[in-house]
Amino acid sequence: MTKAATSDTLASRLLLERSAAWLLAAPLVATLLIIGLYPGLYTLAAAFSKSTLGKPFQSFVGLSNYSFAMRGDFADALWRTVVFAIPSSLLQMLLGVAIALLLVRVSRFGSIWRALIFLPMMTPPVMIGIAWKLMLLPSGGLLNGALMHFGLISAPRSFLGEMPWALISIALADTWQWTPFVVLLAYAALRALPDDIRQAAYMDGAGKFRTFFQVQLPILMPALLGIFLIKLIISFKVFDLIFVLTTGGPGTGTTLASYAIFRTLLQNYDVGLAAAQVLLLVLLVTVLTLPLLRLHKRLSEVTEA
Amino acid sequence: MSAMTQSPPSTSRPSQRDAEAAPSSIGLRSMVGWLLQTVAIIAVLGFFVLPIVYLVAVSFKTQSEVATSIFFPSEPTLANWYAILGTFPIFGFLGNSAFAAIVSSLGTLLIAVPAVYAISRYNMGGNALPSLTLGIYMAPPIVSLLPLFFLLRATGILHTLGGLTFVYALMNVPVALWLLQGFMHRIPREIDQAAAMDGAGPIRTLVAVILPTMMPGIVATGIICAVLSYNEFLFAFFMTASETRTMPIALALFQGDQIVNFGQMAVASLIGILPIAIAILFFQRWLIGGLTAGAEK
Repeated sequence: MTKAATSDTLASRLLLERSAAWLLAAPLVATLLIIGLYPGLYTLAAAFSKSTLGKPFQSFVGLSNYSFAMRGDFADALWRTVVFAIPSSLLQMLLGVAIALLLVRVSRFGSIWRALIFLPMMTPPVMIGIAWKLMLLPSGGLLNGALMHFGLISAPRSFLGEMPWALISIALADTWQWTPFVVLLAYAALRALPDDIRQAAYMDGAGKFRTFFQVQLPILMPALLGIFLIKLIISFKVFDLIFVLTTGGPGTGTTLASYAIFRTLLQNYDVGLAAAQVLLLVLLVTVLTLPLLRLHKRLSEVTEA
Repeated sequence: MSAMTQSPPSTSRPSQRDAEAAPSSIGLRSMVGWLLQTVAIIAVLGFFVLPIVYLVAVSFKTQSEVATSIFFPSEPTLANWYAILGTFPIFGFLGNSAFAAIVSSLGTLLIAVPAVYAISRYNMGGNALPSLTLGIYMAPPIVSLLPLFFLLRATGILHTLGGLTFVYALMNVPVALWLLQGFMHRIPREIDQAAAMDGAGPIRTLVAVILPTMMPGIVATGIICAVLSYNEFLFAFFMTASETRTMPIALALFQGDQIVNFGQMAVASLIGILPIAIAILFFQRWLIGGLTAGAEK
């Protein structure tokens, strides 16, 4: 009888725990419904309908939003997004890892480094855009002034007004903003490496470069790939810098996907078309990041084994 | 995190020390190495502070000097500062931003902290909840802009600060969850098992045991979410109007104005960056832990 009583209290206790756990997770589930499921379904439905900002879901139009999206400038905008995101992310990885390697060797600058490195990644992108706009101005901009001072150009150039410089300028501001993020994560990954591996290789006569490339880099690979993945995803979201620096111009030269969708909304109030464009962008991001995600998973398993 | 916050152990660079004490040919090599390293550090630091220093310089320039490309103003003036503080309702926008940032961050924590506990210790939702959350984070924010815009309009809170704050609180949950997971995994299960032995249920264990242990992580996550809200542009652009505009929107619209004065723009930008700079100064140690925790798990 006592046995039955204990198992009884055990069962009721387990039940109590389960319901308490559900209670704790319930707000998250509600959140995911509001910011995940609902926008997903809404966008799916809107993409197949004629919808405007004032009056959504007027009529069913099948795939016409998609075919319109792919015929127009949006296919170009998607392509430009890839051309922007992949090279700029790679550059930021390269710079970030190099700076992290430098940081690991210098201990004295610890706290100054940290504070300075945080500033770019936490400064509001709008303000970053304004700062870079001032630096790139044709009249009175710092860059034009410096280039003319050293005789590299004879007349000021409008870096934000001509291609490909406008896109490169956005990549430059983006690199300023996000390289510190890579530095921070790469630094943490480097610090997590066991020091004796490096020393053993060093003792065996391997130089610093060989030690890094043949010993440390392979171990770091999963972590670096993970950082690259995050950075790539962030790159596909770029919007604020474009708004401030170029408003998508010259022409549509810097109109990347998010900005193109923003224009569809603000200029044509065409919610149906915007929804179709959104889905195409999500598809693109998924197709490009899925192989990396797979690779990341495989590499992590190999290193852990 | 601990590796980042503690001062580096001295044992980690014996090879460098040895090199410095070695014969002169190696001594020369390490001198050159040291020089290169110092140059590299200065170049990197220079690149990352340059835009901010330039903003400061421009903020003290006269209107006519802005058009020349002298770095530092020859006759520094406070005119831009007076103009912005006197005519531009900058503290109203700052107040809106601060409210949205702080309140939404608290809301995010209220949702994410219990959830991360339930997921980690009671395996709630199996793999579905974490991967769904990651999926939402991966999607560009413009995906949920429209549906949430219509949701706010339908509930009558479009263009209110409360509406924007509500959206921010939900929107940052995926990031918070990802960061908090790193901290949660570091708390040994023995701690909450001990609490359970003493008869504490899940909720009491969370409040009395987990919360205090996780506090540094919770603070770091809260600050990061507040900064994300403070910096946000796209949603604020659609979901606020004149009185409820946040700092980034006010500045973006201000700089889009053709007759704008660059010196004043620099002042307004600096004032907008100031709260962030202060937050970094006060919380940098916690922030680094927070940002690297998710990646380390």
